[in-house]
Amino acid sequence: MKDPKSLTETPVTRRTVIASATLIPLAALTLAPTPAAAQAAAPAAASAFSTDQRRILAAFVDRLVPKDESGPSASECGVIEYIDGSLADFMPKEKPALLQGLMALNAYAARTQGSAFADLSAEKKDAVLTAVDTNKATPELKRFFDRVRRLTLEGMFCDPSYGGNKNFAGWDLIRYPGAKMAVGPEDQRMKTPPKPYRQALYKGPAGKNPAGDKHGH
Amino acid sequence: MATNLNPTDVVMIGLGAANGTAVLPLTKAGIKVIALEAGSWMPLSDFRADEVHNNVRRRITTGRKVWSEIPTFRTNPNEAARQGAAPTMMNAVGGTSIHWYANAWRFHPWDFKVRSETLKRYGADAIPKGSTVQDWPLSYDEIEPYYDLIEYEVGVAGKAGNVQGKIDQGGNVFEGPRKREYPMPPLRETEYTDMMKTAAKKAGYHAHRSPSAINSQQRDGRGACVYHGFCDTGGCPVKAKASTAVTTIPKAQQTNNLTIVERAHVTRIQTDNNGKVTGVTYLREGQEFFQPAKVVLLGAYTYENVRLLLLSKSKAYPNGLSNNHGQVGKHYIGHWAGREVSGLFPFDLNLWYGANSQAVVVNDWADDNFDHSGLGFIGGASLTVSHELHPIQGASMPTFGKAPEWGSKWKAFARQNAGRWTSAYAQCNSLPYENTWLDLDPTVKDPLGDPVTRITAGPKENEPRASNYAGKKAEEWFKAAGAVEVINVPNRGGPQLSTHAVGGTRMGDDPAANVANKWGFSHEVPNLGILGGSLLPTHGARNPTLTIQALAWRTADHLIKNWKSIAG
Repeated sequence: MKDPKSLTETPVTRRTVIASATLIPLAALTLAPTPAAAQAAAPAAASAFSTDQRRILAAFVDRLVPKDESGPSASECGVIEYIDGSLADFMPKEKPALLQGLMALNAYAARTQGSAFADLSAEKKDAVLTAVDTNKATPELKRFFDRVRRLTLEGMFCDPSYGGNKNFAGWDLIRYPGAKMAVGPEDQRMKTPPKPYRQALYKGPAGKNPAGDKHGH
Repeated sequence: MATNLNPTDVVMIGLGAANGTAVLPLTKAGIKVIALEAGSWMPLSDFRADEVHNNVRRRITTGRKVWSEIPTFRTNPNEAARQGAAPTMMNAVGGTSIHWYANAWRFHPWDFKVRSETLKRYGADAIPKGSTVQDWPLSYDEIEPYYDLIEYEVGVAGKAGNVQGKIDQGGNVFEGPRKREYPMPPLRETEYTDMMKTAAKKAGYHAHRSPSAINSQQRDGRGACVYHGFCDTGGCPVKAKASTAVTTIPKAQQTNNLTIVERAHVTRIQTDNNGKVTGVTYLREGQEFFQPAKVVLLGAYTYENVRLLLLSKSKAYPNGLSNNHGQVGKHYIGHWAGREVSGLFPFDLNLWYGANSQAVVVNDWADDNFDHSGLGFIGGASLTVSHELHPIQGASMPTFGKAPEWGSKWKAFARQNAGRWTSAYAQCNSLPYENTWLDLDPTVKDPLGDPVTRITAGPKENEPRASNYAGKKAEEWFKAAGAVEVINVPNRGGPQLSTHAVGGTRMGDDPAANVANKWGFSHEVPNLGILGGSLLPTHGARNPTLTIQALAWRTADHLIKNWKSIAG
């Protein structure tokens, strides 16, 4: 893949422009004009979560994937950043349900274990989550649990350009050999897994800074 | 007011797998074609080795228009229909052929004669209750030259099992006779494909490598597969996968007889008082246009083919275009297909890389390849095991009762086993039923105020029985291969909302029971051709795209040969 030719007759289609436009941070549209260089260096859009909400979410996902001898925890792998990024550019409509779920989890923890969720011991957190997972709390909390578990898996094992799978820790955990643009016969053998390939293919989600074609190997 | 455009010979609605194929013979014959496509050309940089992009956000399987007109579904007429996930009716030049897995199957000769063959072998009682199944208006022998043509035009990699009656155990011994060998050898053999072939033999099955519309070697100016493992619902960055956007459409452009209008949202097909179609109305960037044409070729996804006909009411067709017999939307089939059987192995399978159609298939339990006496169903399922497992998908594995689904114990389990499991894909022969059809939703509308498609899909008995029967065979296959755990989740009765949605404008000889004739032209509207999955009278036990492409080319040939009578 040395010289990928675009399928387009003109390099920038209207579709690409629209896709990029939706990714401009809200701040850039409402504040005074900022020099282009400063915009590029600016942090991502503001978090969907308050400090408290973020603490509950971290406490939750770190029981799903705890830090242990198998590797770092979900939050250490960037799962919160992944969820935050997805809320900003892919699933903004899910924000109210997620925030409501965090509050409901906290309330359920307080009612059944006598304390806010994030302040509970690991055992008590697990007791709360087991009750929720086995549908002993409410159907809404069970739906919230399943959704967060799914988002945790996405954040753990996604391409690192989405903020999750930091330092490829997720891929190391499941021994996924890595995304690369050309795979030889030796990489498709059983029992003797290929050597891990740990180089980023992309700088960001598509529409931001896709650079995949330049990093083929 | 719509702007009237200059007339053309043919206006196409949609430029995907179907019209994207038909466009080549038409333009080569000197016919001027204007193709209206709701999406755009996709740049190769959109085709990423990125599971979130392809499989979570589904950037290569949907499109702006699709998200605004998601069909509703219900399981019976007394239930309120609700919108589910966006279907895979891709908006782009090339359509669904951009993201397909490229499993490039011919249907079995039996598929074309399910009704008559069943009556002959098992009697009238064997036809499933409530099924509206009829024979296709054409036989396998009539479509074979077009299968051959497409395989060589777009490039299919595979191994023949029956060349002009000569059986080759290396290929699919159950297939219908073909004119010649595939143009390319199958995709790369691996230790895994060898293991599964050997295991099938041990279990007493015939296994073979699946046909794939992916270059196993450089061909026709396109690259060979790089096996990077992001083929399933993704686009191909090296053009090895045969989408019409890299095969037939660019060749049609070279004739200078093709004009592609991107981002054209077709709203109605127009009709005159004599019942002939006159052209198509569409919106583009907020402006309304009318494109007059001698012939209209409707080649969108099944749900949109049906919706556009039902929306296009006129004096001649008060219940929707080509619907004076009330057949539009009837005989819709959601292909009965799924991955219900999973196996866990005591060693690394390492299936991460490769392509989904780099597969091994067993056809012993499909079609009428075995005696169904006393089994309580007809048809069956093909069983496929493949390469290509993405990391999120791998980690989302079932835990086989060996570990919880979260926490440190799950983590240790996933560490050991995410690369040690796989599933078999069972695809059933699927039939049309009285309790399953498409119409317009009475309440849910798209942003233009037009109703979306409503799917009514009642329970079935035949297909789940066939799937469960084949599932047991998959279980034995995995065990013969050395799996230590196998889980087989019984197939439920429906509804089956499949990415293979076919029927709804069924082809057949009887105008009272079919929308289209054996050539894909409307029985009621002489200059309206219908292309795509919506034509299919039954669904085979395999992926439908090659059949859709073969039918599309055949429709184009018919139009060329009969241009004066159809377009005149």
